[in-house]
Amino acid sequence: MIVAERKPIRRVLEAIEPYQRVLVLGCRGCVAICSAGGDREVETMAAALRLARKRAGRPLETGEATLIRQCDPEYLAPLREWADKYEAVVSMACGVGVNLIADLFPEIRVYPGVDTTFYGANTALGEWQEKCRGCGDCILDLTGGLCPIARCAKNLLNGPCGGSQGGRCEIRPEVPCVWHQIYERLSARGELDRLMNFFPAKDWRPAGHGGPRDRIREDLKMDK
Amino acid sequence: MAVTIGVLCCHYTNQAGEEDFQGIPGTVIVRRYPCSGHIEVADILRTFEEGAEAVLVAGCEAESCHNLSGSQRAEKKVQGARKILEEIGLEPERVRFAFLPRLDTGPFMEEVKKTFEIALTMKSKS
Repeated sequence: MIVAERKPIRRVLEAIEPYQRVLVLGCRGCVAICSAGGDREVETMAAALRLARKRAGRPLETGEATLIRQCDPEYLAPLREWADKYEAVVSMACGVGVNLIADLFPEIRVYPGVDTTFYGANTALGEWQEKCRGCGDCILDLTGGLCPIARCAKNLLNGPCGGSQGGRCEIRPEVPCVWHQIYERLSARGELDRLMNFFPAKDWRPAGHGGPRDRIREDLKMDK
Repeated sequence: MAVTIGVLCCHYTNQAGEEDFQGIPGTVIVRRYPCSGHIEVADILRTFEEGAEAVLVAGCEAESCHNLSGSQRAEKKVQGARKILEEIGLEPERVRFAFLPRLDTGPFMEEVKKTFEIALTMKSKS
């Protein structure tokens, strides 16, 4: 899932400072699952904003809604009706939702209520870990399912750096060295030969370094 | 000086009635929930919106929670509310949590009084 965390309330207050009526808009996708932008977090954000503004002597009226997703135009359709009622929207979705609202509704002032952080797994209650960087050229077939792009601080492709110690990363010793893990995993499986070929210098264009990426499936497109 | 406090608690923790709160020289907003684990950060913030100067969240002692970990969750919600209060420039000690023996009004009212004292202090500062 896309992992996010609530923005500091002060930042959101600054963004909506000029407005009296604001819609706090949640998303029931990834951000709800990672407890950053679902129904519950919408209630919390809206209450915090109202309370802060009430104490500042500038009461704020909030609307609260949560959409099934904010990354799909069809689910954003209700915004067309709500736009007239509010001067601004605080989107609790990931940055994708904020961008799509900005693209589809240029007249709506939309501000982020969360910081979008990474693609991660929910590894324990209240704990998420980055597992994928979305680099567009997956090599997990060669690395025992463990990603050296997302899980190595230096994104190394041909084994660990000289700094890892005792199977731990030198940048953050609490994190295991993923190349150590890859070696151990493949060694146990008798598959070390998968590492015999050098990975050439990575082409980072599929990772987004060539500009925003898109994906077209002609078989799914319909002529209007 | 009119002072309001909020008391959010589990239905099983306490059933103090109006007569118990008569000794409190202010307004007490009382909300009861099926379990303190059901109390959300937003509920705490809304109680402040309603005018409370301080809020007490009360749950059963950890080992006697009807839903096993409800009161422990409630304690964490209070921590979350404190963080938000701090972010918006309010004193985090305005909200507090108490693990209390079930259906024992004495210790419950002690915590209500402590919360009222905090509310008084906060009100006099503002």
